[in-house]
Formats: sequence, C-alpha cells, structure tokens
Amino acid sequence: MGNKMNLPIMKLILWFFMLFTLSGCFGGREINDLEIVIGIGVDKNESAGNILLTAQIVKENETGGTGKDGGGEDKAFWNVNSTGNSIFEAVRQITHKTGNRLFISHNQAVIFGKDIASEGLEKYIDFFLRAHEMRPTALILIAEDRASDVMDAKPETEKFPAVNIEKLVESYAFTSHLYKVNMKDFASCMMSDTKAPMAPLVSVMQDKENKDIYVSGLAVFKKGRMVGKLNEDEVRGLLWVLGKVKSGVITVSSPNEQGSAVLEILSAKSKVTPELKDKRIVMHIKIKEELSLSEQTTTENLATDSAFERMQKASAEIIRQEILAAFDKSKELNADIFGFGEMLHKKYGNEWKALKDNWDDLYPSVELKIDVESKIIKTDLLKKPAWQSEGGK
Amino acid sequence: MFRYIYRKIRCSLLKNIEKRMHQDALAGKNNSEPIFPDLKRNLEAIKGILHNSSDVTIHEFNFGHDRRFKGAVIFINSMADKGEINKNILEPLMYGALLLKKDADIDFTDIDCVRKNLIPITDSRKVTLFNDLIECLLAGSTILLIDGSKEALVINSGKRESRAIDEPVTEVVVRGPREGFNENVNVSIALIRRKIKDPDLCVEKMIIGDKSKTDVYIVYIKSVADPKLIEEVRRRLNRIKIDAILESGYIEQFIEDSSYSIFPTVSNSEKPDRVAAKILEGRAAILVDGTPFALIVPMLFIESFQSSEDYYSRPFHASIMRIVRFLSYIISILGPAIYVALTVFHQEMIPTQLLISIAEGREKVPFPAILEAFLMMFTFDILREAGVRLPKSVGQTIGIVGAIVLGQASVEAGLISPIMVIVVSSTAIASFTVPAQTDSGTILRYIYLVLAGLAGGFGVIMGLLVTLFHMASLRSFGVPYLWPVVPFDFSSLKDVFIRMPLWKLKKRTKVIVYDGSDSYKRNPG
Amino acid sequence: MNIEKGKITGQQLLFLIAGFVQGSVLLIDFTVGITEHQTWMVILVGLAVSTPFFLSYVMLAKRFAGMNLVQINDMVYGRFLGKVVSLYYIFFFLLTLSFNIRDVGELYITFLMPDTPFVLLLVVFTATCAYAVSKGIEVLARVSHLFVFIGIFVIISTFPLLLDQMDFSNFLPFFELPFGKIFQGVHIVSSVPFGETVVFLAIMGSLNNTEHVIKRTYSGLLIGAATLLIVAVRNIAVLGKTQTIWTSMSFQSIRLIDIGTILTRLDFLVGIAQTVLIFLKCSLFFYALAVSLSQLFGLKSYLPLILPLAGIEVVIAATVFQSPVDHAMITQNAGIIYSIPLMFVIPLLSLLIAKIRGLPKFERGKGT
Repeated sequence: MGNKMNLPIMKLILWFFMLFTLSGCFGGREINDLEIVIGIGVDKNESAGNILLTAQIVKENETGGTGKDGGGEDKAFWNVNSTGNSIFEAVRQITHKTGNRLFISHNQAVIFGKDIASEGLEKYIDFFLRAHEMRPTALILIAEDRASDVMDAKPETEKFPAVNIEKLVESYAFTSHLYKVNMKDFASCMMSDTKAPMAPLVSVMQDKENKDIYVSGLAVFKKGRMVGKLNEDEVRGLLWVLGKVKSGVITVSSPNEQGSAVLEILSAKSKVTPELKDKRIVMHIKIKEELSLSEQTTTENLATDSAFERMQKASAEIIRQEILAAFDKSKELNADIFGFGEMLHKKYGNEWKALKDNWDDLYPSVELKIDVESKIIKTDLLKKPAWQSEGGK
Repeated sequence: MFRYIYRKIRCSLLKNIEKRMHQDALAGKNNSEPIFPDLKRNLEAIKGILHNSSDVTIHEFNFGHDRRFKGAVIFINSMADKGEINKNILEPLMYGALLLKKDADIDFTDIDCVRKNLIPITDSRKVTLFNDLIECLLAGSTILLIDGSKEALVINSGKRESRAIDEPVTEVVVRGPREGFNENVNVSIALIRRKIKDPDLCVEKMIIGDKSKTDVYIVYIKSVADPKLIEEVRRRLNRIKIDAILESGYIEQFIEDSSYSIFPTVSNSEKPDRVAAKILEGRAAILVDGTPFALIVPMLFIESFQSSEDYYSRPFHASIMRIVRFLSYIISILGPAIYVALTVFHQEMIPTQLLISIAEGREKVPFPAILEAFLMMFTFDILREAGVRLPKSVGQTIGIVGAIVLGQASVEAGLISPIMVIVVSSTAIASFTVPAQTDSGTILRYIYLVLAGLAGGFGVIMGLLVTLFHMASLRSFGVPYLWPVVPFDFSSLKDVFIRMPLWKLKKRTKVIVYDGSDSYKRNPG
Repeated sequence: MNIEKGKITGQQLLFLIAGFVQGSVLLIDFTVGITEHQTWMVILVGLAVSTPFFLSYVMLAKRFAGMNLVQINDMVYGRFLGKVVSLYYIFFFLLTLSFNIRDVGELYITFLMPDTPFVLLLVVFTATCAYAVSKGIEVLARVSHLFVFIGIFVIISTFPLLLDQMDFSNFLPFFELPFGKIFQGVHIVSSVPFGETVVFLAIMGSLNNTEHVIKRTYSGLLIGAATLLIVAVRNIAVLGKTQTIWTSMSFQSIRLIDIGTILTRLDFLVGIAQTVLIFLKCSLFFYALAVSLSQLFGLKSYLPLILPLAGIEVVIAATVFQSPVDHAMITQNAGIIYSIPLMFVIPLLSLLIAKIRGLPKFERGKGT
C-alpha cells in the first residue's frame, strides 16, 4: 500500500484543504466575539403585544491577562434591552446594540415579569426549550414586579446578579421556603394535563441605597397563566408532601408555655399513596422527619423524654398545618400543585382516563389523610440550657 | 484508468533504474580475478586499484634460507598495528625461518603452510580473489603476499580507536546499568554476549553498502525467535542497494514496513540491557558498525511507552509512571487541538467561570485562536531545535531568554493569552516523556490543530479515527502495530497500561509471532 | 471466488455486532415519539421478535461458511433470480447508508456545531468511512472492540450521574398505550436496530471458523440490545413526560447532568460516542455495499469502487430528505415497509430452500 497510495493521498490532502478553505472557517466563533449571556429577563412592553427582553451580558475587563478588577465601581456585566413581538425576534434585535449574536449557552436563569406571567407563559416559553444553545438546566423564576429591575440589582458578593439569583435559588435547601425549578421541570408540568407548574418568586427590596434581591415563595400557574402564589409556609407544606424538604426551621412553643424551642429539620421523607374508592379520592400522606434542637428561648430543661415528646407532637402539628395551608391555597386557586392527578394516573391507569377531563371539578373534593412522625435525634452541644430556671433539673 | 497509466509509467522508470544500477555494479570492479602468482604484478595491480593512495604502505622483504623467497606486506598506514606486524609477521618470517633446519618440511610458497606453522596470529585467513583482498585491506587488515603463490594471507591485526564505554546521552536512567553501545560493533556485541550467555544466541554477519562495506550483524536467540521473522529480516537486508551505510538509520528506512507512515516501525536503542531484554522476547537486533544505535525489530506502539526502568523498579510506581506516560502522550498530541476546538467551536462545553476567565485573558490578543496556537507551537519547536545545537556556554542564556521573552513578555504585550502559554508549554513538556514518538507526535500535533481549527470537535474526531485506522492496519514485520490492544489479547495487557509484578509476567511476553499473511508485502523497489 | 482475503475471529464478530447495534442508540428516538414511556418494553419485545430472524442470518452464514451474501443468493436462487435478490440488498444498503450518514450530519447540525455547512460534514465523514473501508474488514474488526468500550463507558458513566434526577415512577402506568402504537413501535425497533444486522450476511463470510458463531453473535446482539435498553430506561426515568417533545432524548438527558461545577456540560461526550458508533455502523454498511457490488460484477477487488460509491452516498445523503422531520416521518412509516421482505422474509426463505435442496453442494474442482 505504501507506494501505491502516495499520489492519491497527496491529491486527497490537497482536495481537503481546498474544500476547507474555500468554504470558509465555518461554525467557529472566537471567544471574544461572543456575548456571553448569563441571565435573561422578559417583561411586557408598554405597547401591547410586545415584549421587553433584558439580557445580562458578561463584560470582560480591559486589563487582559491579569484579571484584576478595575475597582469596586466597575460592573462586570451590562444589561441590554430590546423589544420585539416574539422572544427570538427580540434576541436578534439585540444585535443592534451589541454587534454580536448572543451566546445563551451559559444562561443561568430566565426571569419572567409578573405581567407576562399573568398573561400566560405558553406563548413565550417555546424559544427557551427549542433553542439549541439553551440548556434545560437553566432556572426559571418570576419577578414580583418587573424582571428588568431584578436584573439591575448588583449583588455584594457575586459579580453578576443572575449568578447571584441562581445561588439564592440553589440555597432553597436551607430553609425549604422555595423550590428550584428548571426549564425541563417547568415544561414537564406544562405538558401534564393536571399538574400545575410553579416557579420561585424573586423580588427586589430597597434597603436605603442598596438593592437586595430576595427570593422566596412560589408562583402557581394554571396552564401557563399565573394565578396566585404560595407564601413561605405554604411552600414548605407543598415540599413536605413532595418529600423535598432538606432542611429548615420549626419553632414550637416549649412545653411549659414560657418560651419556644427552635428545631432544625435534619431530614424528611414522605410517601403519598393515592386511593380511589367509590369515586372518592383519598390521598394518604405519611411523613417522617428528623429534627435537632438548635435553640431554646426558655430556661426550662428540654432534654427530657417528656419534653421531647411534647415538642415532637407540636412540630408534627405544625407540619400538618403547613400542609393543610398549602392544600387550602391550592384548592382556592384550583391548581393541582402536588401532582395528585399524576399520582392517580400512575396507579389507576384505566380509571384515570375517565377522571382526567373533570379534574378541575374533582380536585377540590380530594381528601387528605396526613400522618406525621417526628423524631428529635440530637441537641447539639448543650445538654441543658446555660441559664436554668429553679427546679429545672 | 489513471492508476493504470500511472503504474505503467512507474514500471518503466523502475526498469531504467535497475538497468543503471546493474551497469554500475559491473563497471567499477575488475575484481573477480584471482591473484597472480607473480608478486610484482600483484603489487602493480594493487597500487593501480588503490590509485596510489599515500596511506597504503607496501613493504617488500625477503625471507627464507638464503633469502630466496620474496614477500610483501601491505597495510593501510593509519589502521594497522605496526608493532603487531613487526613482531608477529615479519619477525617469524625473516628471523624465525632462519632458525629452521635447512631441510625442514616447509613450503614457503604455500600460504596455508606458512600460516599454520610460522605466523603466530589467531585471526587470519587466506584469499584468492582481488576483490576479497582489497576489501580486507580497506577494512584494516594486513595482507601478506608471497611470490609464487596464488593466494594471499589476510591478517586481522588492526587496532582501532573508539570511544570508551560511556553512559548513553539519549537514554539516561535513574536506576539501571549505565553502559551504552559503542561505534565499534565488536564491543557492542561483546556487551550483549555478556548479558546473554546462551549458546542459542546467534550472531550473523552481513556486509551492506557498496562503498562503505559496513559490517551489519543480526543478533537473535534461535530457540525463541520465530525463524520466519529472521528469514524476513535477512531478506530485507539483502535487498538493500546503497553505496554507503553511515548509520543504522539508513538501514531502518530501508527495512521498515511503511515509509509513508509517520509512526516508526523499527525501534532503536543504545543500551545493551534494553536490547538484550528485547532479544530475549523473541525479537531480532541489528547492530551496525560505526554507530552505537542498534535497531530492534519488530516494534510495537506500546513499546514507546515502556522504559527499561519500569522493570527495575517496583510495580506500583512503575504502573503509575506508565499511566502518566500514556496520559502525557495524549496531552502532547491533542492539547492545543482540544483547546482550540473548545474555545472556538464548542464554548458551551466550558464551565461558565472558566469561560469568562479565558475570555478575559484573550481580550487584547489580535489573532484568532488557531493562529495563536500555531505560532506558539512553532516558536516552541524552533526553541527546541535550536537548543539541541547550542554551544554549551550559551545554553543557559537561551533557556532564560526563551522563557521570559516568549512567555511573559508576549503575554504582557498582548500578543498571546496566558492560557495559551500554559497549554502549549504543557504540551511541549509532555511530548518529552515519550521519546520514541517525538517525531510522530510533532506532526500529529500540527495536524490535529489544523483539523480542530477548521472543523472543531468533529474534525478532531475524524482525525483520530483516521489515525486509529492507519495504526491498526500498520504491521511491523508482520506483527500488528497496536498489538495487544487492537487485536485484543487480554492476557498480554498485563504489561501495557500498568506493569504487573514480574512473577506474574510469566513468559516474558507472549512470543512475538510472525504472521505470514501477505498483506504486509509491499512492491519492492 | 471470495473477494475478501482477510479473516476475522468470532470474538471480533461479537464486538462488531455489539457496536453496530449500539450505533442505533439515537435512532430509538424515533420510537419514543410513538411509545413514550413504554419504550423499554418495546425494545425487549423487539429483541424477542427479531431473535428468530437474527438466528436465521447466522444459520445461513454458518451453512454457507466462507461465502458472502451475493454468493449465497446465487447458490440458493439460481443465477438470475439470485442476482435480482442481491440487487435488492445492495439497494437497501445504499439507501440505509445514506440515511445513517445523514443522521450524523443532522446530529451535528442540530446539537453540536450548528453553523457548519451540512455538505462538508457529510463529505468529511464519508471520506473517513471510505478510508476505513479501504483498509479491509480485518482492520475494522480489530478495532471494533475499542468502539464498543467507548460506547459502554459513556453509557455506564452517565447513568449514575443522573441517578438523583431520575424518577422511577415515570414508568408507571404500564400498559397504557393502545396496542396499535406498541405494535408500530415493535415494528420499528425490530427493523431499525435489530433488523439491520442483516448486513452481517455480507461480512460473516470472512469468519475464520464457524464453530461457536451462534453463541458469539447472539451475545453481541444482547450486548447491543442491553445498551439500548439502558439508554431508553435512563431517558424515560430522567425526562419523564417531556420525552416526546425533544428531538433527541439522549442529548437532553445528558445536558441535565450538573454535579459540582466540574461534571457539567458533558453533552459532547455523548456526541463523541455517538459519532464513533455510527461511524462503525456506516463503515460496515459501506463495506457490505462495496463487497457485494464488486462480487456482483465479478471484480477482483472492491477497492476501486470505494471512491465512486462514497461520492454517490454523499450526494444521496445530502439531497434525500428535506429536514429531520421528513427523515423521521419516512423512516417511521415507509422505511420499515421496504425493509420487511429483506430482513424477515428472504433470509428465512433462503434457509428453507437451502435445507430442502441440500445446499451448499460443492462441485469437484471448484474452490470456495
């Protein structure tokens, strides 16, 4: 093969080079030609039918090579606005201001303004699922007011607001007052006939001159339109049922009614069993959680069996209240946030076909049977409080 | 059809070349003539053939009773050991013969008789043709001609200057013997013999090269090596038609399987322990006079990653070092290519934070990434090439200049981004861990870089596939080049990526089997 | 007179088949649109259904040891009809090869390198395929196990990374879809990944001995099918309901991997594995095509046919479909119909005829 292939190989190589060079260096974009987008905000524009798109773009520092920040005042990002009738159109319109196409692969979060959410997201979400640069791991959030305001608030510890927001959402585990929803989850809920999509709420709090971003609560949608929201306790009630509570704080009043004991949630598990009996839908919810005593404001010694029992019962009751609060809110909004419909579907496949069309009417009639089991398993470093009341041994 | 025409043209060209070479062979040598019995005629003929070169010394003398026999000693001045000639050739003939009784039964015109009875030298033989006579003379031997005899006696009395046995410069080890081969092939063979004291160790001599008549030895162990392999080696060596073999590299290029492949299929080494180990595995070593580099056939790709030190140190460390070598080879050929492919075509694969850092670093650079990478790699190759030929006194300075100028200053001037410097320098350093593949690695690096710059990840994948198929189809003397990875042989993998303890490597390796399939054969010439 | 002089061993054949079936990983996405969360079931049933047909190919190859497809057809159906049947096969190889090449192009255009000119991707890919085929089946077979290892490695490593995002209740309820859809799904699965192994009829002629061929080839098929199953299960568990909307499930699942800040954005890994496996598949088709065609025309070697065939393939691949949607529609609906006789009917028929007529009979003086 050696001698025979000499001439054909050279021809082939020559031909390859011609092919490559004549068709241009395609597909490649130098890094500096990218406009790296890390956050996108969508609002409604004044003139009806238009949307205002805010893209948060990374601005590279001019001191190339050393990577030092120019000073505390320089922002490492800039927000660009553009309008259009559809998201894609607005995205392309931005090139009038930036000169380069947006690069949205590194987008961390998509924030929808409240006005758009109330109108209905189904018109605007397609781009974020279809664009090949978008990743389904991007978070979706709803702004209390306008998304562009949220994008402007410069955080203290992070360089970019969008990254900050993403960090805040990821921290849901600490309080369980909100939940992380990414594009794929949202789309999955939207595709379902019965489950209500949700997204965390983000708001801007003005604190003297500083603008702080505050993420808490969940917005509830029905078929793409935002119909209401869950406050922090209701969100936690929802998370109890879904088994997604990772940590948080439960405050119960101490057994002697003179103060409170603060319990930290260490872990929680839930099991939901749907039951369909003579057209009555009953959901059996069983929750197991483990707590630790983190703080007490009373001087009573709580490290006794009876005190533990009282506190456990009290926390179980609080959990039950939270779940019921969430359920009541969902009944009020007539939105199946727990996914009960889907659970019924999975268990009773045949019967579900008949039920699913009337789910809106059936949902309020769902009964809950809640069974909570709490256990306090540790008390951190103190056995007894430092300041004890008399007779508190 | 074009191929047909092309082949016809090649065939006719080849025939012309053959004809010319044949004529050359006939032309210059009037050598198959026997030696004349007349001494004067012989000397004239020899002077004529050697064009009266001034370093050919002819000493005529008389010996025998009544000094009636004439003889001549011919030698090359610079190559013969004159003391030896005086003491062991001239003295016995000129004096010693006088001590014999007058009617002693010695025929002074019979070379054999003289050789066996009068010349006290062990290494001698007789020749009858001019061809052999001249050859031996030029090789440094002394010729004894006797008037009236049709034969001449060749006496190997030469001493030879050569370098002392030294540590080889190119293969430095931390642990292991530090001797290396010499330019004198006899010394080299002696070193091997000392390591393998087995009667089955065969040493076959061949003479290759029309004008250089270089001694080439094939060394192998008869009971271990595949006879078909040795036959093939002999066949290929015999096929070589060249005027001079100056170094084993010439031979390598003639006997290798595929001259157009960038991968070497013949390995070389300067160290006797390494060569001995390979001979014991069933390979054949080719030693060439005049160079310390011995060739070893056949060669497998994985051998480039094995160093003799691996076997002298303990298994875990050796295995880790092997793995490090493999990974660094991959880094050295794919480093810049992957960097360019990722940053130009697939920015979505880079984590966000890293992407922003890279973008910041590239802010001031005026070139596109591929050009930047190309320039840096090229500069590094210039540095490396220059470094080899530097006089030692200037060496240190250039090192510092290289580092500071090319590295730091270009970054600060905004010509190169700092990440590129890191990538290219790690690539360059990694390329030195696998010395046997340095040349192929250099070429591959540029090829992958170009492919990455043109077609991103897709180009690199296609390039890798083509390389893989090329290597998989390559054979070295019949053995598949990527054995044991590609024709998958699980039991032999013990010594490839890791090094199992010696007591597990029961046979030294599986015997290298010469696969007699025809697909390796190339059209000769 | 057999064209191919190289020989492959049974173990290499195992890996060839496994890699070939693995190359169809992305093609399962066609079925998911129809069978949603019951795809895994469909794969298992498809495997069961195509087992007898697969075994018929192997038995045929074992019976006519050392002979490739065209020779077998000649023997079984006689000179004229045999050539017609061989032409049918060749046509099938030609088309399927161009579909697969187009698949690779679409993969890159959609996901990985969207701004690249389509034709260039096709040309480069086909050229590499042609180069691989020109080296012969021996080299292909030798290298096959590497590809299989890459495929298995990627699949096995991504599975645990996605464990925390998996929701195994997505498999419920079982047996939800109507039988018609399941049937269509089974049909697609048994013809696209499994039925395409009919191409091995042209390759098994190069086996050096046919002793354990049934066990080996079936293990290869099982390995490939297991890979497909694991991928389908992973996609169903991770994506749940959203499976039906994405163009490619595997990619979207991998895009969801986000562990720490390092193990993120791994989709290129899947891209690499996919490219490499489809490369194997295309090379095998290409090889079968070249060898069968040259055998049909009585040529001494298949090498001169490679470049022209590559050119034809590129042209067909570039122009046959308008868009991936077109591709999916035609493969789902029309493709399976013209391949039914080829994969299911003809080999069984050949086997029967061979048994009845007591073939192969070797006349004295004629070598294999």
